[in-house]
Amino acid sequence: MNGRAAVVTGLGVVGAHGIGRASLQDALLAGRPLASEIDRSAGYHAVDSSRLAAQVPKLDLARWLPAAEARRLSVPSRYAVAAARMALEEAGLPSLEGRRVAVVLATAFGALLFTEKLVRQILEEGPESAQPFYFSECVANAAAGRVAIALGARGANVTITEREAGPMLALARGAQEVREGRADLAIAGSADEITQLLHAMLDRFRGTARAEGGREEAPRPFDAARNGMLVGEGASVVVIEREEDAARRGARSLARVSASGAAFDATAPVSDWGGGEVALARALRAALARAGQGVETIDRIVSGASGARRGDRLEAATLAAAWGEVKLPPVVTPKAVVGEYGGGLLAAAVLAAEGSPFGRPVAFETPDPSLPVVPHDGRPLPVPHRLLVTSLAAGGAAAWAVLERP
Amino acid sequence: MPGVDRGFPRPSDIVVTGLGAVTPFGWGVNVLWEGARRGLTAVGPFTRFDASRHRTHLAAQVPPGGEGKEPARDLSAADRFAVASAREAIASARLDLDSCRERTGVFFGSSAGGMLEGELFLETYIRAGRRHARRELVASQQFNGPGDAVARAIGAGGQVETISSACASAAMAIGSALRALRRGDVDVALAGGSDALCQLTYGGFNALRSVDELPSRPFRKDRTGLSLGEGAGVLVLESAAHAARRGAETIAVLAGEASTCDAHHMTAPQSDGSGAAAAIRLALTDAGVAPDDVDFVNAHGTGTPLNDAAEAAALKAVFGERARSIPLTSTKALIGHLLGSAGAVEAVVTVFGLLHREVHPMPEGGALDPELGLDLVLGVPRPLSRASCAISTSLAFGGANAVLVFTRRATA
Repeated sequence: MNGRAAVVTGLGVVGAHGIGRASLQDALLAGRPLASEIDRSAGYHAVDSSRLAAQVPKLDLARWLPAAEARRLSVPSRYAVAAARMALEEAGLPSLEGRRVAVVLATAFGALLFTEKLVRQILEEGPESAQPFYFSECVANAAAGRVAIALGARGANVTITEREAGPMLALARGAQEVREGRADLAIAGSADEITQLLHAMLDRFRGTARAEGGREEAPRPFDAARNGMLVGEGASVVVIEREEDAARRGARSLARVSASGAAFDATAPVSDWGGGEVALARALRAALARAGQGVETIDRIVSGASGARRGDRLEAATLAAAWGEVKLPPVVTPKAVVGEYGGGLLAAAVLAAEGSPFGRPVAFETPDPSLPVVPHDGRPLPVPHRLLVTSLAAGGAAAWAVLERP
Repeated sequence: MPGVDRGFPRPSDIVVTGLGAVTPFGWGVNVLWEGARRGLTAVGPFTRFDASRHRTHLAAQVPPGGEGKEPARDLSAADRFAVASAREAIASARLDLDSCRERTGVFFGSSAGGMLEGELFLETYIRAGRRHARRELVASQQFNGPGDAVARAIGAGGQVETISSACASAAMAIGSALRALRRGDVDVALAGGSDALCQLTYGGFNALRSVDELPSRPFRKDRTGLSLGEGAGVLVLESAAHAARRGAETIAVLAGEASTCDAHHMTAPQSDGSGAAAAIRLALTDAGVAPDDVDFVNAHGTGTPLNDAAEAAALKAVFGERARSIPLTSTKALIGHLLGSAGAVEAVVTVFGLLHREVHPMPEGGALDPELGLDLVLGVPRPLSRASCAISTSLAFGGANAVLVFTRRATA
């Protein structure tokens, strides 16, 4: 045991798979994209646009979020509050009384539906019809504020908005808050929602997967025919505390957050990935070295590869450059199932650290000969000792975290 | 011992070596400080968008002219403010990025990113249809637009992190940079924030009835709300040892930071200011200074009735009777509320105050509020006999409070 080290003691998740970890585990084992047809009736989409998204189905969140409370909340706030309560229940913490609690949530785009409604009210009906309720819930930190109010969390309340790199930055910050003694407990995670406008915009920037060459629309991380991501939504939230505190109260540690790092690839254009794998690999190795870890000690990679053409190339090249002569460990690709945004990667990483099995990503067909990475084929794997979670963002940001068996 | 000279920074202290800003006073930190010293408001009629149908009609807009030769394609107004501020800060720090590029991080706050351009996109879409709405308008729409634009423009290779915690965004980003530097995650940090005026925030604050029809009058009895502004501020931060190695001059020490949450209400502060008070105390402890060491306060001071009252309560809780005699100013009285970059620009003027041993004034006018019991700096700059330590507070939607503590380098 490592007394002041930060450990995860609870996980809460809401996503296209449903509510809670069990449905996510099933989905990751099945390996099928959690894709459903998105409503394109608002008119934002082009005729030939992509048609699918990993949408949260109609869920009864009442156990985690009473209807009266839900009514006042934007969609990402709902997901986040429900996931936070779920994570605390799993951590065995019915009350936070007397504890200093930090909240660190990532969101890529915030409460987009309310933002769009408010902007359209102002533009179409005139500013006088703007509803104050939309405004207070469309700030990016609405979800973090709502979680703090719901739990009585009076520590630092931080909302990180670094697109695809946000969830790992939030995990790292949450771990730092408890490791450095500013908080006894950190609620860390990620929340996002899909809207028609967001989906159409991502499609317009060619970010989303499309049906092409006789292949169905699907995210295919590291596949030669990959042509974009599956847009996702939901929330993943973890409870983080010091290992000694968890042990003292007899809580089960799910994973230790033993290293983290971040970097930037300035060769990236504003809405795509760049070619800076050499520098990114150096930064990744340096982050591991600061924690006294070498790449040879990593026995699993939970990759943030999403099926993006350039993003996956950069991911594969960065991993290859970081590992050099050392053989890469098995690489799993949860975004082939849960899609991008909404924090599915974070929840999947915690499950992977516990030894939860990942099935073959069924949409993967053809390895890309130019990429030095092939996703794991679904054969049973031992429980990893130490796994690396990667996330490279369009626009240049990068963040990594290491989870290990406590 | 109050007022003790902290001496030269220790090698591990995190110091400010460069400053940059784009504000309604113009492009650059010198026009900002000159404008702040004059104490006249930049809030007035503006043209960033058509405000004729909004409930109020004033704001503080950045004047044109300072963009330089930046390629504007794909960059939002907030991105351009951010990049110009960062370039100024790097130049003033005499920072040779080629020697530290991969160990340079960017920690940035923004509450709205490229929302102004996002609105233009939607407006075009609504009026003229999908084909006419150019996608370039939303390329940098997301919150991380300004911070990423800075990182891309300067070729930063270290951690890049955008914090979007409403009006506390930039103060939190600067705090996050301080932590990363202390931890050794980066050697140099560009920390700050950027936001541009947009209809979402203008219409939103108006819908909440939080905007004053006149230029805002923080801490005055007749205050009725805030004024909105726009702009960016950037600090170059590094350890004193790193600054010494490259022969850089230390402007001030970023001695401490802390943030807390009221966990009370989405838009209203806790009336007793206890969350903000806790943040101030934690930040002072983090800096290793006592409340009696604080020589002036750059307040959040939005000018809304509730915020200013809660902030005054917080200051009283921390400083006791001394709250009545610590010089206090609000930069928002001059350039409006810069939302996600307010904490950055206010950090810049706080450092200037320590450097020049004076506190910039707020405009005269407006009835005093004796109930608040604060020593407001009004009309003319207030010279300080002691300028060793100052705090800057940021209090936000969602109950987030962030406080920065700056100390002055020794001159002896």
